[in-house]
Amino acid sequence: MRLTDATRNRLRVALPIVLTVGLLAPMAYAWQASLVPDSYAATAMGSVDFGGGPVPPGQGHTGAGGPHAPAAGTISVDDLRDKSTRAADVRIDLVARQQELDLGGGHSVAGYSLNGTSPGPTITAVQGQLVEVRARNESVAAGIALHWHGLDVPNAMDGVAGVTQDGIGVGESFTYRFVADDVGTYWYHSHQLSDVQVAGGLFGALVVLPRRKIAETTDVIAVEHTYGGVRTLNGRAEDLHVDADPGERVRVRVVNTDNGSIQAWANIPFALLAIDGTEVNAPAPVGDQSVAVTGGARADLGVTMPADGSPVRVQVSRGAAVVLGAGNPPVPPQPPRILDPLSYGQPAGLGFDPAEADRRFVYTVGRRPGFVRGKPGLWWSINSRLYPFVPMYMVSEGDVVVMTITNRSGEAHPMHLHGHHAVVLARNGVAATGSPWWFDTLNVLDDETYEVAFVADNPGIWMDHCHNLTHAAQGMVAHLMYAGVTTPYALGGRAGNAPE
Amino acid sequence: MKSVYRVFAFLIAAGVALQAAAMAYAVFGLVKWIDEGGTLDKAAITAAREGATPIGGEVGFSTHGTVGMMVMPAIVLLFLIFSFFAKVPGGIKWALIVFGVTIVQVALGLFAHDIAGLGWLHGVNALILFGVAVSAALRVRTDSSVDERVPATAYR
Repeated sequence: MRLTDATRNRLRVALPIVLTVGLLAPMAYAWQASLVPDSYAATAMGSVDFGGGPVPPGQGHTGAGGPHAPAAGTISVDDLRDKSTRAADVRIDLVARQQELDLGGGHSVAGYSLNGTSPGPTITAVQGQLVEVRARNESVAAGIALHWHGLDVPNAMDGVAGVTQDGIGVGESFTYRFVADDVGTYWYHSHQLSDVQVAGGLFGALVVLPRRKIAETTDVIAVEHTYGGVRTLNGRAEDLHVDADPGERVRVRVVNTDNGSIQAWANIPFALLAIDGTEVNAPAPVGDQSVAVTGGARADLGVTMPADGSPVRVQVSRGAAVVLGAGNPPVPPQPPRILDPLSYGQPAGLGFDPAEADRRFVYTVGRRPGFVRGKPGLWWSINSRLYPFVPMYMVSEGDVVVMTITNRSGEAHPMHLHGHHAVVLARNGVAATGSPWWFDTLNVLDDETYEVAFVADNPGIWMDHCHNLTHAAQGMVAHLMYAGVTTPYALGGRAGNAPE
Repeated sequence: MKSVYRVFAFLIAAGVALQAAAMAYAVFGLVKWIDEGGTLDKAAITAAREGATPIGGEVGFSTHGTVGMMVMPAIVLLFLIFSFFAKVPGGIKWALIVFGVTIVQVALGLFAHDIAGLGWLHGVNALILFGVAVSAALRVRTDSSVDERVPATAYR
């Protein structure tokens, strides 16, 4: 059939338009679908995943954007707090400011401080003590919130703006109150615009000592942070010198407050005493390995000072070091091998049976083109979908949960679950054979699969996100939610809550 | 519209040149920075933020990333759309070739994070993209010597 000239002309005009629309319409749709309202509840995010377990009453619907009908017996995150009237054992006021930070060595950067310094003061408590922190925001324009990274605090104290509280605006304050039950090395940091505020210095260390003294007589805190490209320990761009006598046992608590992994090693054999605060069972000294400490994670390293009085150098990455004793030993070369906690130390009981899991979840990280909050790009996906269409892992109190975390994204991710200690069962199908590997922040390398387990024993709404906080800000955020828990707080809204 | 087609095609070729230049600067800047005592690890890379100069050659790396992931795909997409209207002989075909080679290039750049060996192909494919973009641009120039609205007999 021959087309008439008129038809052909019409086609000539129409075809380019049809092609253009055909090309752009799917993109416009994806863009439109990625937009989030100005104010929305974390509980309404994504699609509910029951992990193959029973559907709790009142939760039998998906939360894809729709409002949740309040189920019978709901509880607000606000009520998940220590309600005792007992006096605090440890009390501290923290004042947040926006200011220029002096890092020493001629370096200074614009950032944030707590009580005038970054890192803020180290909070130290003995196990079982009640800690009370009054956080006041003097001049951080976007507001702040303090999260107790790794501590299993009650949900109302978790410090996530828009989920467990409103951001603390300029001139406002908020009192955090919790019992420090978890012994070990932890840290606190802002969880309002955390990508920007943590990078800028709004954090500090938190140490919970056991009731009985630790075996080490010298206890060193080494908070590593990169301020505007300057590598520091405890806020100073220089080695940290600490006195230590020959034969003395020393514990160096390494806290990585950066987004990416660092390596730590020493010029003499050392033991990895604790991972993310939890003591390793029977840690043996290693001489030819380094320890990877990922973004947000902690590692306690133990050394015994040589009897001949020579100094010890503990590298906290190539660019920072703790020097123990007198002198200045040369930088030891970085060991080529990285210590593998999967087979380090001796096995011990977990206190629960992961084989009896009530729910099994899958958390697969990928990367794909699309739109997040209307912005085109190549974004991190969770279970193949982009923020905010992320899974909402739903549990009931007392559940034993097994989660399989897989990374197919081409980049390593430090995965952090709030409010719970989880334990590694296996990596890439190889079962853990060492000390129980408890963690709160797990570095999952590209193409790795971890099977981890935890007991759902801390009701609330908990973020389960990448602690490369830039990635979190790009939408790598899911939540663990207990059935029946609601939140009066909203992401966005008048308080401008933005936990990432 | 023809000149827009040509400008965009040359722009794509220029983009490839910029990408190569950015990487050359990035690598030299990084090596010099390490030589002067800088520490490169994941924490340093992730601390790289706008406004700061955390690692050597950072401007080169960030330029390469932004141009490769955002600017070039946007320009190539616009180029393809313009080709529908430009009435350049073979213009749509060449725009589709440029579009396809660009997709391959972005994919290679991404998957090379997984399999570093793909970096070799990423470099070679860049030259192919440069070539097809210039070829597309030249479609306009060869054609414009003969105005299609004037009957061929007029030139006799």
